[in-house]
Amino acid sequence: MSTTVTSNIGHQLLEAVYRLPHGKRILECLQCGTCSASCPSAGAMEYGPREVIAALRAGILDRVLNTRTVWLCVSCYACTVRCPAGIPFTDVMYELKRLEAEKGLVRHNPGAAMAHAFAEVVDRHGRNAEPKLLMKFYLRTNPLRALAQLPLALRLLWRGRMKPQAETIRDIEALRKMLATIPENNHS
Amino acid sequence: MNDGNGRRIGVYICHCGSNIAATVDVEAVAQFAAQLLGVVVTRTYKYMCSDPGQEIIKQDIRELGLNRVVVASCSPLMHEATFRIACEEAGLNRFLFQMANIREHCSWVHKDRWQATEKAKDLVAGAVRRVWHHRPMVERRVPVRPEALVVGGGIAGIEAALRLADAGKKVYLVEREPTIGGHMAKFDKTFPTLDCAACILTPKMVSVARHPNIELLSYSEVEEVSGVVGDFRVKVRRKARYIDEEKCTGCGQCAQVCPLEVPNEFEESLGSRRAIYRPFPQAVPGAYVIDKRGMAPCRSGCPAGVHTQGYITLIAQRRFAEAAALLRRDLPLPSACGRVCYHPCEEHCERSQLDEPVAICALKRFVSDWALEHLAEVEPLPVRSSEPVAVIGSGPAGLACANELAHRGYRVTVFERAPKAGGMLRYGIPAYRLPESILDKELAYLEKLGIEIRTNQSIHSAVALRREGYRAVFISTGAPLGRRLGIPGEELVGVVDALEFLRNVKSGSVSQLQGTVAVIGGGNSAMDAARTARRLGADQVVVVYRRSRAEMPAHDWEVAEAEAEGVRFEFLSAPLRIEGTDGKVEQLVCQRMKLGDPDASGRRRPVAIPGSEYALPVSTVIPAIGQQTDLGHLASELELTSDGQIQVDPLTLATSMAGVFAGGDVVTGPATVVDAFAAGKQAAESIDRFLQGKDLRAGRERKPPIAHPPHLTDHAPRPRVKPEELPPEKRVTSFTEIVGTLTEDQAVAEAARCLRCGVCAECLECVQQCEAGAIDHNQQDEIREIAVGTIIIATGFKLFDPSKIVRYGYGRLKNVIHALQFERLTHASGPTAGQLLTTEGKPPQAVAIIHCVGSRDVNYHEYCSRVCCMYSLKFAHLVKEKTGAEVYNLYIDVRAPGKGYEEFYKRLLHEGVHFVRGKAAEVTDVAQSPQEEGKLVVVCEDTLLGITRRIPVDMVILSPALEPAEGAAEVARKFSLSCAQGEFFLERHPKLAPVETASDGIFIAGACCGPKDIPDSVAQGAAAAACALALMDRGVVVLEPITAEIDAERCSGCKVCIASCPFSAITFDTTREVSVVQEELCKGCGTCVAACPSGVTKQKGFEDIQIFAELEGILQ
Repeated sequence: MSTTVTSNIGHQLLEAVYRLPHGKRILECLQCGTCSASCPSAGAMEYGPREVIAALRAGILDRVLNTRTVWLCVSCYACTVRCPAGIPFTDVMYELKRLEAEKGLVRHNPGAAMAHAFAEVVDRHGRNAEPKLLMKFYLRTNPLRALAQLPLALRLLWRGRMKPQAETIRDIEALRKMLATIPENNHS
Repeated sequence: MNDGNGRRIGVYICHCGSNIAATVDVEAVAQFAAQLLGVVVTRTYKYMCSDPGQEIIKQDIRELGLNRVVVASCSPLMHEATFRIACEEAGLNRFLFQMANIREHCSWVHKDRWQATEKAKDLVAGAVRRVWHHRPMVERRVPVRPEALVVGGGIAGIEAALRLADAGKKVYLVEREPTIGGHMAKFDKTFPTLDCAACILTPKMVSVARHPNIELLSYSEVEEVSGVVGDFRVKVRRKARYIDEEKCTGCGQCAQVCPLEVPNEFEESLGSRRAIYRPFPQAVPGAYVIDKRGMAPCRSGCPAGVHTQGYITLIAQRRFAEAAALLRRDLPLPSACGRVCYHPCEEHCERSQLDEPVAICALKRFVSDWALEHLAEVEPLPVRSSEPVAVIGSGPAGLACANELAHRGYRVTVFERAPKAGGMLRYGIPAYRLPESILDKELAYLEKLGIEIRTNQSIHSAVALRREGYRAVFISTGAPLGRRLGIPGEELVGVVDALEFLRNVKSGSVSQLQGTVAVIGGGNSAMDAARTARRLGADQVVVVYRRSRAEMPAHDWEVAEAEAEGVRFEFLSAPLRIEGTDGKVEQLVCQRMKLGDPDASGRRRPVAIPGSEYALPVSTVIPAIGQQTDLGHLASELELTSDGQIQVDPLTLATSMAGVFAGGDVVTGPATVVDAFAAGKQAAESIDRFLQGKDLRAGRERKPPIAHPPHLTDHAPRPRVKPEELPPEKRVTSFTEIVGTLTEDQAVAEAARCLRCGVCAECLECVQQCEAGAIDHNQQDEIREIAVGTIIIATGFKLFDPSKIVRYGYGRLKNVIHALQFERLTHASGPTAGQLLTTEGKPPQAVAIIHCVGSRDVNYHEYCSRVCCMYSLKFAHLVKEKTGAEVYNLYIDVRAPGKGYEEFYKRLLHEGVHFVRGKAAEVTDVAQSPQEEGKLVVVCEDTLLGITRRIPVDMVILSPALEPAEGAAEVARKFSLSCAQGEFFLERHPKLAPVETASDGIFIAGACCGPKDIPDSVAQGAAAAACALALMDRGVVVLEPITAEIDAERCSGCKVCIASCPFSAITFDTTREVSVVQEELCKGCGTCVAACPSGVTKQKGFEDIQIFAELEGILQ
């Protein structure tokens, strides 16, 4: 059974969500389940979006943080578009991911590992590079599985579907400058 | 503090328990107020509004001689009246009082005590400064009329009307629809008792119809409202019903013959109804109504006003005899018209926006030909008038006049100079366009109708005819003479005018031509002559026209056909002279032309090119450059135009001689056949009026509105049916008719292309069926003006359009229906007679009911629509009862707060209805498993189980939100009601004045002020009636004397105020040349005060000096 945690972190979490545009609308959640029934990833999540909101409001943080749920969000925005309470739940998901990363709460979670690897590759090259991304991902999660993927990788390389060398965009410095202008905690 | 001006002001600060005192330092405010100019006493008290509180004020007025009072407390809405009365009871005029709102405006909206106290001081200072300038005023007492207006005939409006009427008040009940009953009339059962809606509603509807005090204005809308409480003036538009409510017995025979079916809005488009209909059997009033959206564009485009949509609709139903009868009533020679008309109707046909216009003319020809074959026999028309009419000339104009008059019961004699009747149709139009046999048959039919046609009769005097006993005469002798070219050589043998040429061919005196024939002119007669000449064997036919093809007055298709038949054209060429030897034509000398500037007709003027003469060797020259009248002695009796045509009044066609009318080519010069038909009918109307001694002009200029085009997107493009045609090479060898008649199947298919713009096709079948004679297709909208003392608005709601939520599939997926559709589906007199069936005609095995569709949703309506839970439960019960199907209610919360409602919910739980807590995410027909195949699948999270479910069902019922009725914003504007955009009307107070509005004397009831169920609507209807009765029974209403006042000494008489007054309360005194406010009409809105350029209009109680003083007090 879950435990109720009224820790400092729970408070920070709620405050961060409230600061999102329309973030306070999670207080108006009807618990109608439109989000969960609309979510293409809900089947793989331990807790659907509706339950995450309920847990967030109740301060039961182990159902919110460090679960697969937030990392499985594919940003399709179906929940946000359909929510009768107008809750920007996809944005809430992002906020939770950010906070988990910031507070170092992410433990062995493949979703988080993938997200981090992706961010690093884009940071370095200005765009995605599949071999590098997957190498990073498998090294951090399960290096043995990388071997299993090898035949597929070779086929892709053979057909020219994947480039062995990571390509960097033309003016990576300009992109870095742009990224640098975004403050660490960018929501007003 | 004291003052030298005699003002003695008392200031009273209320604690309002802790409402004010907790935030505002009332003692500090009192101390501050004591320092203000004119203030002699300040006091604070826990509840100023209480009896002891009021007593304090009264005592001070008496003992301290106060002559002004300020109370700082709550909103004036709450207690202004209380304190005013207290002042009055102590002998002070009630208007020497001012209130400062330090609760709603201060303590309730501020947290900081110091700031709130400072603000309270400012507000009190403002009030003290203001009250200084107050003057004693006397309230106005206005009489209240004992009549009431109720707008909206749903259950709330019905209840209100009946209550008022039972109390002896005259009630006008205005309903937009053809029947009262509103939404409730559509319901099957009512929750939670499940009693039949009709059984409890219809007795009330009948009471409305029977009540001597209720005047029911159904199918009507309020157009305009003016005046104030006690005396409202209301203009009501009574939409044309086209049926006399008094005469209609409701037998319904008319609907049986009506050929037009449209979706039935009463059945929520689940069924269809006729254009003439009654929404449902128990409708009140029980009279039928015709759904006519205006005159069909085709009919409106027809000069003769032929009922085009009417016969097209009848043809589509294979009712050829009826279609032909309608046409024959409209036109004397429909078969001929179907061959030669240039069909302007088709130019107006809305179908041309989609693909091609309906072949209206070909349909007319088809059905007229069919009638000649199948309906040649006819009984003579009954003669109802003893006054005979003479028509001179048997062309299309004369025969149209005769036909129309004969149908109206007159005995008509047509005089014709030629050996055979028909005029230009017979002698001017070649047989390949109109075979003479057709004309003969149609004329024979007309004679059988009783029209006497006397040929070989030259009439020289209308006076003589009248002396013979003809009470009216119509002259339609046409323009049978060809215009002369006016060039040398016209007298040579071989030069023959086109009309004469065509006449000779028809009479057989010319049957052959040789050599080259030159036809001069570019009109339709020139084309007829040229094409006839081709058929008579001329080696070559040349049309000589002085302008270019683009300027030719002949119809495009005539020119194209002439070309196809081998006629040659010499454009930009004008004849100079005709040369010949031995008196016989040999050559035509022409000159080349070029086009110059446009002339009066808008066409470019031909200009001769010098030195460009050339000769054309010809054997025959046929000039076809125009026609003239041939009036003979008649010309001396009548006033003529400079062109030798008869001068007439264009509206009535009356000539300079009383009782003599003229029309057709003899008036207009050469024109088309259908224009001549139109003139004949126009003259017939005049003659009918003349003989009955009626005004010739009254009401004739008014044209009915044209129907708006229907939604073209509802129709698939389909090409127009083409009749068979003779190939060009076969045409020139004989006078055989070129264009064939449509076959029956072709005609039916073509008629089905009609878009039915007018809805009612005006086929007039209903008129013939109606034994009561109740139908009048010419009815017009009427404006009724009524005066009432009070008004109750009960305009109800409409359903949210569920197709806006695309994922629920309404309008996209079959078997997804909304609540009202379900009501009709389960109703015993609905489209399935109460059987609950899917569109496949089978009873459903599983049904899902989705709650909160468009309610409790920030994307649509945030409010809870309040009735959906309960009607959804009712639906669940009915489905279960009728089909035994599994029923799934998908709800967020079940709201059952009413008498017996929770019990009903429990009953449903016992009945085994599934309640799934979760809002449906979507409805789909994409199956993911064999069980879902062919089903609708409702996807939702069962939030109580925490799992996503896919529920396969056969029918989905959506429970949509309730919205303000269509046009509610318009109603709000007319009655000055408050309501935000797209929201329900606002009551004066949500708790304490739920049926009153911000406008005195105007009340609201039912779902127009918010979603409401039947018991609440009825209660509100009765409550509104009680409020209205309170005013009317007292007979007078006391109004604030805050009217405008114009200083007559200084008024410049510019009248700006008169134009600005929304209540027409300002009149102009012509003797003093100043504007004067009629106090009893003035509502005190202040518009004129702001508008007055001289600044001499002031509003009592809101004078500039008072307002400025208040501002100064606050801002000091």
